[in-house]
This record gives sequence, C-alpha cells and structure tokens, in this order.
Amino acid sequence: MIKFIAANKWFKDRHVLKNINLEISKGEVIVICGPSGAGKSTLLRTINKLEPIDDGEIIVDGMYISDPRTDLTALRAEIGMVFQHFNLYPHKTAIKNITLAPRKVRGLSKKRAEERALKLLEKVGLDHRRDAFPVQLSGGEQQRVAIARSLAMEPKIMLFDEPTSALDPELINEVLEVMTSLAKEGMTMVVVTHEIGFAQKVADRVVFMNDGEIMEIGSPPDIFVNPHHERTKEFMSSVFHIPIFSESQEEE
Amino acid sequence: MIDLLGQFENIRFYLVGPYPNGAIGGLSLNILLTVLAISFSFVFGALLGYSRLSCRLYIKLPCMAYIEIVRATPLIMIIFWMYFFLPYLVGGHATIFSSAVVSLSIYAAAYQAEIVRAGIIAVPRGQLEAALSTGMSRYGAMQHIILPQAFRIMIPSFVSFFVSLFKDTATVFIIGVIELTQAGIIISQRDPDKMYAAYLSMAIGFWCVCFTMSHLARRLEKKVGVFDLESIRPDACRDEFMLLPKQKKTGEGIEQSVVCAPDK
Repeated sequence: MIKFIAANKWFKDRHVLKNINLEISKGEVIVICGPSGAGKSTLLRTINKLEPIDDGEIIVDGMYISDPRTDLTALRAEIGMVFQHFNLYPHKTAIKNITLAPRKVRGLSKKRAEERALKLLEKVGLDHRRDAFPVQLSGGEQQRVAIARSLAMEPKIMLFDEPTSALDPELINEVLEVMTSLAKEGMTMVVVTHEIGFAQKVADRVVFMNDGEIMEIGSPPDIFVNPHHERTKEFMSSVFHIPIFSESQEEE
Repeated sequence: MIDLLGQFENIRFYLVGPYPNGAIGGLSLNILLTVLAISFSFVFGALLGYSRLSCRLYIKLPCMAYIEIVRATPLIMIIFWMYFFLPYLVGGHATIFSSAVVSLSIYAAAYQAEIVRAGIIAVPRGQLEAALSTGMSRYGAMQHIILPQAFRIMIPSFVSFFVSLFKDTATVFIIGVIELTQAGIIISQRDPDKMYAAYLSMAIGFWCVCFTMSHLARRLEKKVGVFDLESIRPDACRDEFMLLPKQKKTGEGIEQSVVCAPDK
C-alpha cells in the first residue's frame, strides 16, 4: 500500500530523513515512535507530499510520489490526515467542516454529503454537536470531528500526526477509542504517537526512529519490552519513566 | 457659537460645493473620492498583496518595489507627480479630478496590498495543510478556507485604512479640488472674521463621516467574526495593562482616580 524506497530529505543542511526503506501493507496499523526531532512527523507528511522528498521514491497505492505527472489532489483524496492541533476550519460548523471536501472534491450533493457526515459524526459520538463551531467544542471533540472530516473522503489510508499530544489527559481516551475502532475495521493507519498503551493494543508493527533514521521495526513487544538497539532501550526506559531492565529483572 | 450657527447659510457649499452651478464639491466630493479610490484600488491592491507572497522573484520583486516606493512617499508627492509631472512626461493634460482619483488609488493600493498580505499570512499554516490533505486544490483551499478567514482578520485594518484614506482626501485641495477643506478655505476667505467658524465646520464634517464609518464597521466585525467573539470587544477597558498605580479605595469609600474600572 505504501512503499518507501531509499527516501531522503534535507532541510537546508540538516539531513532529516536518512535512507528510509519501509513497506506498509493494506490494513496494517503502524505506530511510529521516537524522540522529538527524530523525523517522525516529516516521515508521515511525505506520504501525502505535504513535505516533498529530495531523493528516492515513495509509492502510495500505485502512485509515485515524486513523479510530477501524479495528480496530487487525487492522491491526497485517498489519504486522510489528522493533525496534532486539529486544524478544523474555525469559520465553519462541525458538519460543514466535514461536508466541504466531499462536496468540492468528490462532487457530492449537499444532501448526500450531509447524510455521510451525520453517519460519521454518529460514529465518533458527536451527532448532537453537528451545528457547533470548533471554538465551542472541547479538544477531544474537535479531534474527533477532525477524524470524521478525514473519513468523509473515504480514504484508503489514514495518517495520524500526534493526534492526542495537544489534549488534556482525560480527553485522550475518547480519541484513542475512535482510532481503535477504526483499526478494527481494517483501515490502513500510520500513527505518530507517544501513547504506548494504544500502540501495544492496536499496532501491528512499531517503527522506532532516531535522528532521521529507522532504528528498529518490530511487533510492539519487540520494541517496547525487548528492544535490541541501545538507543531504543534508552528511549523506552525514559518513556516508561522507570527503567524496564532493572537489575532484579536481569537476575531473574 | 452664534457665528458657528451662522455657517448654516453656507451649509450647502460645505456639502456639495459649487454644484449645481459647477462641479460637485464639498463633503460629497470627499466621499466620492474615497469611494472611487477604494473601488479602483481594491482589486489592484488585493492582487498586489497576493502576488507579493509569491516565491517567484519576477512576480514578487515588482510588487515589493511598488509597495515600498508608494508607502515611503508622502501622498502629496504622488498628487504632484500625477498632476504636474506625469502630463509633462507623457504629454497631454490632466484634469484635477482625475489626477486626484488616480493618485489616491495609487496610494491606497499599496496600503491595501499590505493589509491583504498580512491577513493571508495570519491564517495558520495548518489550515492550508488540512484543506490540501483532504484533496482540495490550492485554488479551492484559498477560496473556501484561507480567504474567508483572512477576510475576517483584515476587516479592522481595512476600516481604519478607509477612515484614514477619507481624511487623506483633504490633501487634494492642494491642486484646487473644491472638496470640504477647499470649500471651507473659500468660505473663510469670503468672511475672514468668521474664519474659526469655517475651520470648525470642516472638522465637524470630517468627524461625522469618520465616526459613522468606524461605528458601522464595529457592527460588521461583530456580525462576521462569529468564530472569535471573545477577541472583538472594542469597548472593553483593561486597567491591568495600564502602567498606573492601582486604584485605591480610601477608608471612607471614596474611590480615587477612577478612570475606568476593568470589567470582569
């Protein structure tokens, strides 16, 4: 579904993506984790070409990202994206946020777009908030509307860029629940997150990135509990706040 | 005061100038000049401001040059250029009215360009990314997402610019346009004893129009700024921002130095 072939990217002199090779198959849920500045978000954003790569190739659903003949809007219509800061349109109500792209890009009638939007709002548990403006919604509600907005285009792939990082702790779960149910329905998902619990429960594979490189790829237990790489161990122990490999465990 | 009331016999001249015996003038001409200058410069200014954002130097640089040159030039220079110098360069003859309209438009376009540019870049980048990521084209994102938000951001700047442009139309009296200032000067010269009354009448004329404009604009802001009602409270007072000693209540309950209490 998504294939990175030796992808490289520089920001001026800084090498932010170093020789990325990664293949993601249909229906797979990939969690990308790693320290800040590791290039996780950049990697995610290259998939729908919000950031172009400088070298290599990414093939998404048979479309070559760096081919200038690729229709970018068609590519992006197939890829939903959820942002850290929601990025809802503040001048439009929840339902208009959702119906805009289906109407303008897919050419749906107002009625059909609204039917679809209402179904999605129901799915994220917000059908009673259809006419609320984003400022009137809590962070968790805004993020759920944002997810519904991306789903309204019926994408084949969903990208999540730290979807819970800007939320209050008690609002995180409502968003994670929506994401979990989405994963169960078989959506191909690439998620940048620090929610280890979510990753353990939902992810098929976890990618650990550091300094623009993919250090390790493996199942959640492989990465979180038995990491091979020294840098991964270091990161995991700091994420879990307690050293995972305490001396007592090693003696056992 | 009696003298000021005496100006009522001249009110027609203040409002419409020598019309119908001559061209329209007075306060109506100030309004007409403002409206014409705004209409001519609005599209041009918006295009300039938009193009100024381009990364392509051959688009950006000419726009920047125009904006920076005009903004760094006094309006009166532009008026002189259009009235005296341009006809000298290209030949032909410029009427005072067309020179006034053209110079005000040139001047207004540069300022409007900056307002448009600032409005567009004030819309958070994430908005464009969100729109693009749902498959919308750049054009569609601009039309449905960026510009509607940018427009709301621009309203206050536009209004204050329109008000100041209206006041700037007084400058064209220098080439003999009989607008409110010139009308007042003519009247004051007719009867030098009542000079102060004439100048006071001019000020009142300008004030009435400017005040009405800002008042209407405030209502417009409240109406279209739906998503951000909190930030639009022009009447709010904030004593905590004042670098003044805090208000003290004396024992007798007499409040000292009450300028305006912060509304909580």
